[in-house]
Amino acid sequence: MEKNIYLDNAAATRLDEKVLEAMTPSYFDNYSIATSEFGYSMGIDAKDALAEARKTLANRLGAEPEEFIFTSGSTESSNLALKGIALALGQKKGKHIIISKVEDFPVLYSARALEKEGFKIDYIDVDEFGFVNIDKLEKLITKETILVSIQHANQEIGTLQDIEKIGNLCWKKHTVFHTDATHSFTRVPIDVKDIPADLITVSAHTIHGPKGIGGLYIRKGTPIAKIMDGGFQEFNLRGGMDNITGAIGFAKAVDLVTEEENIRIKKMSKRIIELIFEKVPEVTLNGDLESRIPQNANISFHYVEGESITLHLDMYGISVSTGSACFSKSLEASHVIAAIGGDHERAHGSIRFSFGRYNTMEEVEYVVETLASVIKNLRIISPLGKEKEE
Amino acid sequence: MAEILVNVTGETCPIPLVEVRKAVKKAQSGDTIVITGTNQASKKEIPMAAKALTLKVLSIEESEGIWTIKILK
Repeated sequence: MEKNIYLDNAAATRLDEKVLEAMTPSYFDNYSIATSEFGYSMGIDAKDALAEARKTLANRLGAEPEEFIFTSGSTESSNLALKGIALALGQKKGKHIIISKVEDFPVLYSARALEKEGFKIDYIDVDEFGFVNIDKLEKLITKETILVSIQHANQEIGTLQDIEKIGNLCWKKHTVFHTDATHSFTRVPIDVKDIPADLITVSAHTIHGPKGIGGLYIRKGTPIAKIMDGGFQEFNLRGGMDNITGAIGFAKAVDLVTEEENIRIKKMSKRIIELIFEKVPEVTLNGDLESRIPQNANISFHYVEGESITLHLDMYGISVSTGSACFSKSLEASHVIAAIGGDHERAHGSIRFSFGRYNTMEEVEYVVETLASVIKNLRIISPLGKEKEE
Repeated sequence: MAEILVNVTGETCPIPLVEVRKAVKKAQSGDTIVITGTNQASKKEIPMAAKALTLKVLSIEESEGIWTIKILK
């Protein structure tokens, strides 16, 4: 296998060399923990490096540095958002939380864990494109509602929610609003001066940064409890060793994402959708054509199974992912495709193409050409197939 | 030159192809991979995959519902 066309950047991205370069001194020269001003010089340098990284992250969100904490990734960030609010407000205000049916696993399973602890969770519907029903959300919020958690962009189909409208609604109803922006951060602008979000989950692994580092924006005054006990790091909101190297890498990764890059990536995802619709019959676009993150295209190929498509594309050196059951560790078909009204077959035949910095337009052409032939052949042999062998 | 046997009798898509991929990765150049199975779709799918990997299909035989495909790495 000589070719290596990686189109699973929503799952993980190749590290940018400049990120590694920025991180390296923190491994070999400036490797101590962050100390106070009363500590030794290396520790003070480490503290300053962490503060500088925090400033970069906060600036990208239009926030103050003390409103941003580093975590081990978006899973921990969303766990802290949901469980931290539940712990802070569960006894004082109420036990009602609202999330959407298409949330990614960290939010979905944090909510399910809280449900077992006696919290009432409402899972709000989305329409055929993946948009949350805001009128229904308004009706669901009560005086007991302590948190609404609606993602900014969907992890599978890329749909971008109107978080400004949702946030305003939450604020009008005096409810804390969390949004998981793992798949939109830096690809779509978010400024907390305009977006009324109290908590925002972000991560480095989707933007060519290191794995194992993420963050949570926490608006000043948001009532949240610590769930990771230990030391007093991260403004006493997360015990544990500061991942200074990761934070430096995350900050560098954020600096490297430019508007020009996002436009280039958008052109590739748009082109792959156009070409697939032109060259492969009987396909359905999952998500909205316009309101989607620039790096995502998700298409269902009728009469074929996603696992077969991914396996055959892999033989040609192409990496993509599918919403099909066997592909996922949960062994369940995509809950997102089900929530937008897709049937079992649509979920099983769905393929996500997610682009990043290192993809090119030439790769798009090659992928579609290969895909058209793979789908044609698979439809011939598939028990669901419509094509007839010649 | 070794002969690698892959028995996927009774398995359905996509398991046979997954097992073939594992065997191909493990095989050295010049090895023969001998796959036996019963799933008819896999009988067609495995040669397709071999073509994608630019591997030579040496033979495809079938007797009493059990097929055997030989691939040269």
